[in-house]
Amino acid sequence: MLQPLLEIKNICVEFKTRGGALKAVDDLSIDVQQGEILGLVGESGAGKSMMGAAILGLIDPPGRLSSGEIWFKGQRIDQNPEPFRGCEISMIFQDPLVSLNPLKKIGDQLVETILRHKRMSRAQAIDRACRGLIEVGIDPERLNAYPHTFSGGMRQRVVIALALASEPSLIIADEPTTALDVSVQAQILKLLKKLCDSRGTSIILITHDMGVISETTDRVGVLYAGRLAEIGITDHVLRSAKHPYTQGLVASTPKIDPDSFGRSLYQIPGSMPKLDAIPTGCAFHPRCTMRTNKCSQERPPMMKDTAACWLLEEME
Amino acid sequence: MKRFFASDFFYDFVRSPVALLSFLIVLFLVLSAVFASVIAPTNPFDAASLNLMNGFTPPMEPNPFTGDVFWMGTDDQGRDLFSAILYGLRISLFVGAMAVALAAVMGVLLGLIAGYMGGWLDNLIMRFADIQMTFPSILVAMLIFGVARGILPPELRDEMAITVLIVSIGLSEWVPFARTVRGSTMVEKEKEYIAAARLIGLNRWQIMMRHILPNVLNPVLVIATITLALAIIAEATLSFLGVGAPRTEPSLGTLIRVGQDFLFSGEWWILLFPACTLLALALSVNLFGDWLRDKLNPRLK
Amino acid sequence: MSFITAKNLVRRFDLSDPWIVRKLTFRPKKFLTAVNDVSFSVEKGTTYALVGESGSGKSTIAKMAVGLLTPSAGTITLDNHNLNDPNLSPQRQRLMRRRIQMVFQSPYASLNPRWRVGDILKEPIQSFDLIQGTKNQAKRVEELLEQVGLSPSDAKKYPHEFSGGQRQRISIARALSSQPDVIICDEPTSALDVSVQAQVLNLLKSLQKEFSLTYLFITHDLAVVSSVANRIGVLNKGALVEEASPEELFTNPKQDYTRMLLNAAPKML
Repeated sequence: MLQPLLEIKNICVEFKTRGGALKAVDDLSIDVQQGEILGLVGESGAGKSMMGAAILGLIDPPGRLSSGEIWFKGQRIDQNPEPFRGCEISMIFQDPLVSLNPLKKIGDQLVETILRHKRMSRAQAIDRACRGLIEVGIDPERLNAYPHTFSGGMRQRVVIALALASEPSLIIADEPTTALDVSVQAQILKLLKKLCDSRGTSIILITHDMGVISETTDRVGVLYAGRLAEIGITDHVLRSAKHPYTQGLVASTPKIDPDSFGRSLYQIPGSMPKLDAIPTGCAFHPRCTMRTNKCSQERPPMMKDTAACWLLEEME
Repeated sequence: MKRFFASDFFYDFVRSPVALLSFLIVLFLVLSAVFASVIAPTNPFDAASLNLMNGFTPPMEPNPFTGDVFWMGTDDQGRDLFSAILYGLRISLFVGAMAVALAAVMGVLLGLIAGYMGGWLDNLIMRFADIQMTFPSILVAMLIFGVARGILPPELRDEMAITVLIVSIGLSEWVPFARTVRGSTMVEKEKEYIAAARLIGLNRWQIMMRHILPNVLNPVLVIATITLALAIIAEATLSFLGVGAPRTEPSLGTLIRVGQDFLFSGEWWILLFPACTLLALALSVNLFGDWLRDKLNPRLK
Repeated sequence: MSFITAKNLVRRFDLSDPWIVRKLTFRPKKFLTAVNDVSFSVEKGTTYALVGESGSGKSTIAKMAVGLLTPSAGTITLDNHNLNDPNLSPQRQRLMRRRIQMVFQSPYASLNPRWRVGDILKEPIQSFDLIQGTKNQAKRVEELLEQVGLSPSDAKKYPHEFSGGQRQRISIARALSSQPDVIICDEPTSALDVSVQAQVLNLLKSLQKEFSLTYLFITHDLAVVSSVANRIGVLNKGALVEEASPEELFTNPKQDYTRMLLNAAPKML
């Protein structure tokens, strides 16, 4: 097997509070292969956004990456992420206005980003910026427009062009379409997928939406309470989930399916634990319908590289 | 109460030396003002107890005629300065607190109305506030003070002096309250719990008082603390200029005015001690207010 | 028989500059028509869903239905009574409004953070004078909390002590405490996690059965619609473009816009 583009090994993100350290990410390992779209799905408080921030070294105090290693293209980057941030690895946020300077023309912002990473003349950079805009489906004549003149979906396209300007090998997209209408969301997801194919760029797509995961990603990691509950090929995970949490998540997602019209949805009892009250053993066990004694005592390891659940052990 | 001591607010408070020190100084000064009649060796308002022979006694030195010793010396009429300061502190704090209370009630009400009703009422109130803000508040206070003195019959003037002082300072400081409350009200009124209150048929007044008011009070506490320092200084300034507290009921400002007459003839203590008290009071109230602002409402910075 | 009916509903918003600016620049008044000639009717005890993207006017319709906005033209009738009848006394109007309550989108902004849950639930009871006596009111509050799956002891807590899903339950309990016939649900689950969304949707369904409630369900999420609605209206730019039962709409959409929406909705497998 090829060496993965990004390797995350046993990372923990801790927040120091008066009541002690809270673990927002707890002993999580995951790989990203060249050219794949990896989905990270989870509910609020699952630590999915924290993962993206950890890779880029963007965790603000009082939080910190307290243990674990992050390797990118064979180099360890968790100690020194700055040279990679915005260059080899770029980020797309939920709110496009976070990444755009409202006072500068989008063309200038693009050209600046290109010149920061590549040695070339200004004219060449402008040419590159034009091609970048065409690639994301924006008329290059709008190079001289300001961000506020674009609609939400168009702005997100500009942000994608900006993220691509440095020709990164990895893009971390944190809920890139959550603020958008479904019709626009579909276009943006399609665009991301196309870019991933044509450029061989890897994408980590962070979202809470199972539908988005299903339509866009190659592999998916399911997070729960800062831990990886399950990981695998998206189709396999969604069709035959191994972890009871994933099963519940899939079952409770409303589907457009004539058989389910008007029927009650499956519901997982309870809610995600708060960080200061994560249960012992498997974090999901109080909500799990298939729990055993072992689940409340010992934290399950990743079984057969698919799911962290003791049920898999019994099946062997 | 238990919840308060366990809160982040209390935790930060105990760990901030500035906040803790300034709060303790304020507390100490407030307590000495409240218990002035117990602590003070003499009653400076009781003319009968004054002995003119004691006039101009320097601090900690026995008076050459009577042999009495005063901690902080005496003024020209032989009044014990320490006692006078305690009583003066009481008046300064009382005037300051009442003026802030008046300004807060007025500002909060007008801010609520302006923010919730909007339209011409909002325009009227806020434009009036703008106009008032173009004058220094001490000028506004002097104007109100002068008008009030003119209206009042002469025999009531001294009696009402403190009330007039409170009203004039209060009316000159309401604007910051109104502006802040108006802003928070405009944010709160768009929230869905207000829509829910409208759905059950509450009228505007009920919505303002029961739902919005409790949610806009946080910054008011901060502004009140900072305004308290301003009000105390305003009171001292007015009294210093001779338009505030009368000599029969001297506040810190009055004492400073009296002391200033004797500064160049060598009786420095009559000015120095009241001035230091005022400085300590205003500075610590201000520092505490700044800390409160940083803690409770970083947006106000 | 239709229970709540909207007839030729129109809502325009005045977006004009101030009078003085208009006169100086010679520009005419500017209007935005958020809702344009929308008619629909909902039968008693059923759920009618209005689906649309942002700017489709769905929230404006919801606000007009509960009386937070008045229609620029057209009428909304409940049980054949016009809700905006100018001849109605304010007192009568208030009583009629009681019958239509609302569950809001944001679980955070829809509960007054300074009030205890018990007081939040008691307020409508007192305002409409539904139950007399503090004891009976407290009992009713406990009953409401149990109906939405919370515990009676939660009445003493403040909203911030609850999770998003639990707050939405409180919001539902508050709507129920007015004893309404109709509840307008304005994106009640769009801020919630999937597993919690299912809990809230199921709760709404079981309450509907128990109290024969009529729902007007506002949402942008077609998948949610398919699981709750008896009838669906699709809104685009303020106009109702298609109306059908879920079976018809999802298997045989008539309009291009509906088809586009259906194609765009992310599907699971």
